[in-house]
Amino acid sequence: MSTTDDSIENAAAAPDAESGIDVTRTGRFGKVLVSTRGLQKAFYGRTILKHCDFDMLVGDITVIIGKSGSGKSTLLRALAGLTEPDDGNIRFDGEVVFEDQKRTEAWATVNQEIGMIFQTYTLWPHMNVLDNLTLAPRKKLGLSASEAQDRAEIALDEVGMKQHLLSRSTQLSGGERQRVAIARALMMRPKLLLCDEITSALDPPVAAEVLGVLTRLKEEEGIALALVTHDMAFAAKAADRLVFFHEGEIAVNTTPEEAFSQHENEDLKKFVDAVRF
Amino acid sequence: MSTFDWGFLVSILPEMLHGLWVTVQLTVIVIVMSMLLAIPLAVARMARIEVIRWAAQGYIELFRCTPMLVQLFWIFYALPVLLGVTISGFMSATIALTANLTAFMAEAYRSGFQAVPVEQVEAAQMLRLNRFQQLRYIIVPQAIKQQIPVILSLNISIFKDSALVSTIAVPDLMFTANTISSESYKSLEVFTLAALMYFAIAFPASLITSNIERRSQLAGQRGAGKSGPSLLTRMMPGNRATETTTDTETADPKKAETV
Repeated sequence: MSTTDDSIENAAAAPDAESGIDVTRTGRFGKVLVSTRGLQKAFYGRTILKHCDFDMLVGDITVIIGKSGSGKSTLLRALAGLTEPDDGNIRFDGEVVFEDQKRTEAWATVNQEIGMIFQTYTLWPHMNVLDNLTLAPRKKLGLSASEAQDRAEIALDEVGMKQHLLSRSTQLSGGERQRVAIARALMMRPKLLLCDEITSALDPPVAAEVLGVLTRLKEEEGIALALVTHDMAFAAKAADRLVFFHEGEIAVNTTPEEAFSQHENEDLKKFVDAVRF
Repeated sequence: MSTFDWGFLVSILPEMLHGLWVTVQLTVIVIVMSMLLAIPLAVARMARIEVIRWAAQGYIELFRCTPMLVQLFWIFYALPVLLGVTISGFMSATIALTANLTAFMAEAYRSGFQAVPVEQVEAAQMLRLNRFQQLRYIIVPQAIKQQIPVILSLNISIFKDSALVSTIAVPDLMFTANTISSESYKSLEVFTLAALMYFAIAFPASLITSNIERRSQLAGQRGAGKSGPSLLTRMMPGNRATETTTDTETADPKKAETV
């Protein structure tokens, strides 16, 4: 159950007519992109997500924090379609995509607008960067090889990796691989990019570079980003919303300023202190 | 003690080469068919539907747990009785060896499939590639590449094991050698030549396998700053046991069985 005292839903200022979401405080675009209601998931009898109500607006950066096993990644995986929730519903871009314990027909049409980047480097090592980027657009979107290559060059340019078009993924550093992984996700032109601890294996300067790329994507392309990260500096600087998961529930859903300076939630305070120091 | 008759050896060479040609033909057909058939079998072995998984596992266990000679005789003698048709020796040998090698090859593939990190498959899922595309472009190429040493080992084994087909009158190298030996009573020359011919094919293949294994080990150690012993050093008697066991070695179903 969402127990937020400053959740998107409860915000008083300028609520959106349909969703009741505080659009003036949470996003520039003001349209709900993703919402979940009563989302639940258990693994082997252990409930990981407990009646999770979660919203994101178009173009927002939402940073999700919390201890391991608190349900952050499970939420992302449910949104991505990699995990099937036990109950609840998910709406994406106005369409119900999960309901009655199954994906709806709408899911098949909207799912390629959701991209996901993982903690470990998931570039396919038997292909070069170009092939990594162009495989899905050629096979799923029906682009020709030259069209796909043009799109790949643009995507790599966005993440500052154009010079590595023909490199093999094994020749790249960790930060470069994650930037290529971002470019690969961009190839499908997603509206929502889910990032599951993508900088946790990187040195702080390299992590900052990768997060800088994501911030630029949000600002220039209007792509909504949901990031699970422990990088509080990034959360403070770039996030529109900060969501704190505790024992499978969204314990806090607020702006980063409030979360870091004024919030009363003891679990959040302990977590932030532990991560900072 | 008789002397080695070099002249006789030279005189039987064309006949023996013909036998070798039959052996090579049989082996190549069996290897190509097995490598293709093992892919769906390995996929079935990992299927979510239990009936399919059990059927695949049953097939694999059946061929792994019965002697190849029995399989060969069953297909040559029993299957025609069951079906009421005549099956030639070469066809029986092809079926039996393919069925056998497919079972082992499928296990090698399965091991390779499972070694592909799940995140790579999930990345493919997130790019909305369907299951076939995931297999075709992501899983199978990596699995086969990783399992090349195992696959080559299996291929060398089947080349040597193909000598069993001489028992059902397929005119392969072993059958030819046996026939010449029984007619000439010069078993020393005949079987020495047969052994050399098997060796001449299997040894280079074994060297290639070792080389590929060594390359994959070096690739795994890249960055550690120290390379392993040379190929020839590694091939010296007693040195193999001291080698670091790689994933591909432990994944060899035939090796695992003997352990």
